[in-house]
Amino acid sequence: MSDQQLLAILPHILLTTVILIQMMVIAFARNLRTTVAISVIALILTGLAFIPVYSLIPIMVTPLIVLDGYAIYYSGLILMSSTAVTLMAYDYFKDRGEKQDEFFMLLLFATLGALILVCSSHFASMILGLELLGVSIYTMISYPHKGLLTLEAALKYLILSGVSSTFILFGAALIYAVGGKLGFAELASVALETRDSGEIFLTAGSALIFAGIMFKLSVTPFHMWTPDVYEGAPAPVTAFVATVSKGAIFAITLRLFTSSNLIEVPSILTGLSVVAILSMLVGNLLALRQDNVKRILAYSSIAHLGYLMVAFIAAGMIGGKVLAIEASSYFLFAYFITTLGAFGVVTIVSLPNTEADAGDISNYEGLFWRRPMLAIMFTLTLLSLAGIPLTVGFIGKFYIFTAGVTTTLWLLLSVVIIGSGIGIFYYLRIIFAMTKRTETDVTKIEIPIAGGWVMASVTAAILFFGIYPTPIVNLINNLVLSIT
Amino acid sequence: MDAVVVPMEHGLALAAVLFSIGLIGVMVRRNIILILMSVEVMLNACGLAFIVAGAKWGAADGQIMFMLILSIAAAEVVVGLGLLLQVHRRVGSIDIDETSRLRG
Repeated sequence: MSDQQLLAILPHILLTTVILIQMMVIAFARNLRTTVAISVIALILTGLAFIPVYSLIPIMVTPLIVLDGYAIYYSGLILMSSTAVTLMAYDYFKDRGEKQDEFFMLLLFATLGALILVCSSHFASMILGLELLGVSIYTMISYPHKGLLTLEAALKYLILSGVSSTFILFGAALIYAVGGKLGFAELASVALETRDSGEIFLTAGSALIFAGIMFKLSVTPFHMWTPDVYEGAPAPVTAFVATVSKGAIFAITLRLFTSSNLIEVPSILTGLSVVAILSMLVGNLLALRQDNVKRILAYSSIAHLGYLMVAFIAAGMIGGKVLAIEASSYFLFAYFITTLGAFGVVTIVSLPNTEADAGDISNYEGLFWRRPMLAIMFTLTLLSLAGIPLTVGFIGKFYIFTAGVTTTLWLLLSVVIIGSGIGIFYYLRIIFAMTKRTETDVTKIEIPIAGGWVMASVTAAILFFGIYPTPIVNLINNLVLSIT
Repeated sequence: MDAVVVPMEHGLALAAVLFSIGLIGVMVRRNIILILMSVEVMLNACGLAFIVAGAKWGAADGQIMFMLILSIAAAEVVVGLGLLLQVHRRVGSIDIDETSRLRG
């Protein structure tokens, strides 16, 4: 391995080293503040280590890992999100008894898995990243030991995630049986050679991989686990599952299917369209019937993944690839900061009650009068999720629209419109609950320092990039479109 | 060479059958240990498929993937059994219906 290649994976080496150091520190001097400080410094250092990589891209490091602009962009998103989750988790865990340090180590492990995932170019590294991410998340979900709810959520996630991994593996095995290749780029020639002969293995393999990925992305009809896991997991972990895990898996899916041309298999595109339409409708309709904010956000995330699928489908249409990658990259950025904001509020509202998270909508009643700043921030994130102009969510949805119009996906676009229309109802329902004047249950909600900073920067980002998206658009144009 | 060569399709068919058995097991079983075992069966079916495919191409890739799958399965089951112990301690049962509190 040459010096350049070593430099290119420096961020990953650095993060691994810091995790080991952190493990030693926890073993010998257990202190929550120190652990969190190490985590934050590790994440920032890893982000900085990507700067020298920028001059080397695109570079292959063994056949397993490729570092290109696309990988750097998504790594940046992941690191940003992990830092926010670390700070939120510090507020969440600091008053919940002893021995909370290992949680932050698991968080770094999961981050490492996500980083490997977004720059993998081979099935082996993809599986490795998926499992590193998954196994850390199971443990993170069940970490607080509060009761059966978290355990059940973790167990459900473990079984379903394990099953979906086997789907991906079996699909990969079938594709390997046809082409004898496991690297994504080499698969392109395999897909071309075997397409006309109607190779059943290739279609079956791609379908299996897709089914597995749909499970992990929680789009309909594979969405059943999402509301339960969102409700059962501690709020910061839910934020992590919703952003880092889903974002990284979407990024690798887009890379896998665009670089291997598997997306152009027609039956796959039809299947994807059905999945996208179902997700948008089912996610939005089922959210109407929920009284639990965490479950509403879960169904809203199902719907958002449905919107994202529209961009994904556009990537498979003629002339849509570049715009679709641009659109989904911006949409994911918007989705990341908005979701972090929403779960940041849920975390802060849950702080006084260490027994269970503040899921029920009644916890939010009268928030406008008790904590106006927090309520305004929550309103802004909800409006951004609904896609109201002047928020970052609007620009994201606008991008999806542009990608859809360019590739003339009219049916899908009309469902996007219907879905967004339904969505406004349940987001407004939470906002109305916050404006209600209540005399009952005036629990004191303090805005913590770390969480307060996260919320402030997230809110600022939602507004700033909603009004002036040019910096992110330029970044995407510079980095992402160099996908290999 | 008069050695009998098993065609790749047969091996893949066996793997597919094992995979289906595992999948059915995950869906119909109510005992968490048996569900975890069924996931193991599915993972090993994938491993078998990789080995069969690797044998066809005469490359080591398939076997390396199998070793990766083995280690992944171990990691997954360790966490699964850990959770199972916690569930048993709290509910006194490892039946998945009795532990179910979330609405599903």
